[in-house]
Amino acid sequence: MQLIVTAISKDYGNIAAVSQVSFQINSGDIFALLGPNGAGKSSIIRMLVGMTLPDSGSILVSHQDQHYDHVPRRLLGYLPEDRGLYPDKSIEKNLLYLAQLHGLTKQKALKEMAHWLEVFELTERRHEDLKQLSKGNQQKVQLIAAVLHRPALVILDEPFSGLDPLNQEKVVVFLKALKAQGMTVILSAHQMAMVEKLADHMLLMAQGKIILAGTLADIKQQAGLQRQMMISCTEPVALEQLQQWLPDLDIQALSSTRFSIKLAPQHSVSASLKQLLNQLELSQVEMQAPDLHQLYLTAMANHQCKDQA
Amino acid sequence: MISKQSIIVAKWEFLRFFKWKQQLISYLLMMSVVAAVALWSYFTDESRSVYRIAVPANFTISNSEQFEFQRPTIALSEQLAQLTQQQTWHGVVTLADNEVVLHTLAAKKWQQQLETELNDFFRQQYALELNLTAEQLAQLEQPISLEFAYLDENFKGKDTPEKMIALAVLILLFIGLSTAFGQVLLSITGEKQQRVTEQLYAIVTPQQWMDGKVLGHSLSAMKAMLTSALVMLLSYIVVSVFVSDNGIDFNWLNCTVLAWLVPFALLGVLLSAYFMGAIAASIDDPNTSGKGAVMMITWLPMLFTFLVIDSPTGNAMTVLSWLPLTSFAAMPVRMAMVELAWWQPALSLLLLIASLYWLRRLAGRIFLRGMQMYGKEPSWGQIVGWALSNKTE
Repeated sequence: MQLIVTAISKDYGNIAAVSQVSFQINSGDIFALLGPNGAGKSSIIRMLVGMTLPDSGSILVSHQDQHYDHVPRRLLGYLPEDRGLYPDKSIEKNLLYLAQLHGLTKQKALKEMAHWLEVFELTERRHEDLKQLSKGNQQKVQLIAAVLHRPALVILDEPFSGLDPLNQEKVVVFLKALKAQGMTVILSAHQMAMVEKLADHMLLMAQGKIILAGTLADIKQQAGLQRQMMISCTEPVALEQLQQWLPDLDIQALSSTRFSIKLAPQHSVSASLKQLLNQLELSQVEMQAPDLHQLYLTAMANHQCKDQA
Repeated sequence: MISKQSIIVAKWEFLRFFKWKQQLISYLLMMSVVAAVALWSYFTDESRSVYRIAVPANFTISNSEQFEFQRPTIALSEQLAQLTQQQTWHGVVTLADNEVVLHTLAAKKWQQQLETELNDFFRQQYALELNLTAEQLAQLEQPISLEFAYLDENFKGKDTPEKMIALAVLILLFIGLSTAFGQVLLSITGEKQQRVTEQLYAIVTPQQWMDGKVLGHSLSAMKAMLTSALVMLLSYIVVSVFVSDNGIDFNWLNCTVLAWLVPFALLGVLLSAYFMGAIAASIDDPNTSGKGAVMMITWLPMLFTFLVIDSPTGNAMTVLSWLPLTSFAAMPVRMAMVELAWWQPALSLLLLIASLYWLRRLAGRIFLRGMQMYGKEPSWGQIVGWALSNKTE
């Protein structure tokens, strides 16, 4: 399923929840919507689900040579931000009900359910009422409910929230499995480490607007965050000496033998390293790329500065 | 018109509130209470005992099944002392200056029967004093029989069996709608509180969701009405066979009236459930919203009809039987008591169906718009605006 979103906007009274946002999601991609609370992620998700209509702009959905102006319910699997199922019903009854609403036969639903319950290690507990489960396990049931009918598009609003690190990893595996099955996944999240492992494309938003968009590499480039090379020398070296050997680079001394060298995109790692090895002996070289978390914080800080200016 | 998804929602909702074990326990409990009351009444029935009553020597009153009249020769003070201390008698009757006094320890139910028997005795005494024959006395005691002749040929009569059926249907409707009231409110607002609604919205359309909810709870209402009707019927059979000793007679059941009653009742339940659904869908938080009480409006048709039931040919009943929001309660009652041309209930039924369709769409629309407002409750003005607009999304 391919989605082309063009200049959508949504206002709630005087508040512009989403302003002129455009993006494209290709079939089989995992697409992440990132941003602080109130950035407009859930508003975009609700427009994609068809719960609200954009005030302006368009959403074009293409699936198997068919085109739609919204995601058809039968092709959609959805995990809402405000989630919950029927607490006084068992896992099996909850899932069976939702699967049958999706049009699955009881037999097919039970088969699909058995597979996903196995994945999330909930098979033994399928007859327990939902209220007896921990929050994390309830979350897993909710995730299963979203994919039981094998939709073409899965939209997950904060799938990692409320999960411990182990279960977050399980969700990463789960999402990779969805991608492997050809499903297109849209997710919103605050757990940057998880997103970095998963997302093919991402959209970083603040106050309803796009701050950064593209692949992780694109975003890093757009953010202008530099790679860092950490070097340790066998003997003490003066900072001024190093600066002479590498005149274009920003170098910081961490100790008399340890230095941090910032590399802009145009600087070659191998060329810089070659230059250094000609002059001195290195005991350790370590590359540090900025992670999504740093990138997110920097981008948000830059956005706030621009906004205040 | 009703999708497969709606049927699945309806089945889920019906079974969600159908706890057969609890239902069975409640029926058993109800039967135990009835049995306990019956046994209590049997063992405390004073009419099966014989009471000894001391009367003056000149009283010629004869003994009856319940009373044994004795004429002691001892003084009144002694009689009263014996009544208090030894309970030789249950009561002592004295006559002084044409005033009859019954002395007893305390008020009891059997004393009413004694009063009746004493009255009969004194009436006969006065008749003898006036030299009246037994026939003359019987004529005097016979109440006037007033026959009613109704000139309006369409009026079937005041207390016909059909009126009883219509009254029973009003009671059943009240039971059904009370059941639906609680369930619709709990189910719709509860689902919002449990955050299930948004999940369901991504699967079914607002109209399918609303149809399913209303069908499910209407089924519960009808189940409550059916079980109550069976209890009524069983009670009638028990009273006829065991109390009145008449045997079972169903000749009073008017099948034509019943055939009209059923569709009116079913459509009435659906109409009311859609109204309740629409109001419940507009409630964001039942703990802070004041809209829940508005759902009780659905009880008004029964109340209004009950108030005008004794004037079935009056203008009020006519208007109520045509008005789509009240016709489901009023038209069956009017039909039961007044002979109407077939087209009148038929047209009223059609109007009811049209209103049901309109209210069904409105309820779906309110749910959709309510969902789009996120945590904000629509105002009455907005709801009226949606009701008047025909825009569907």
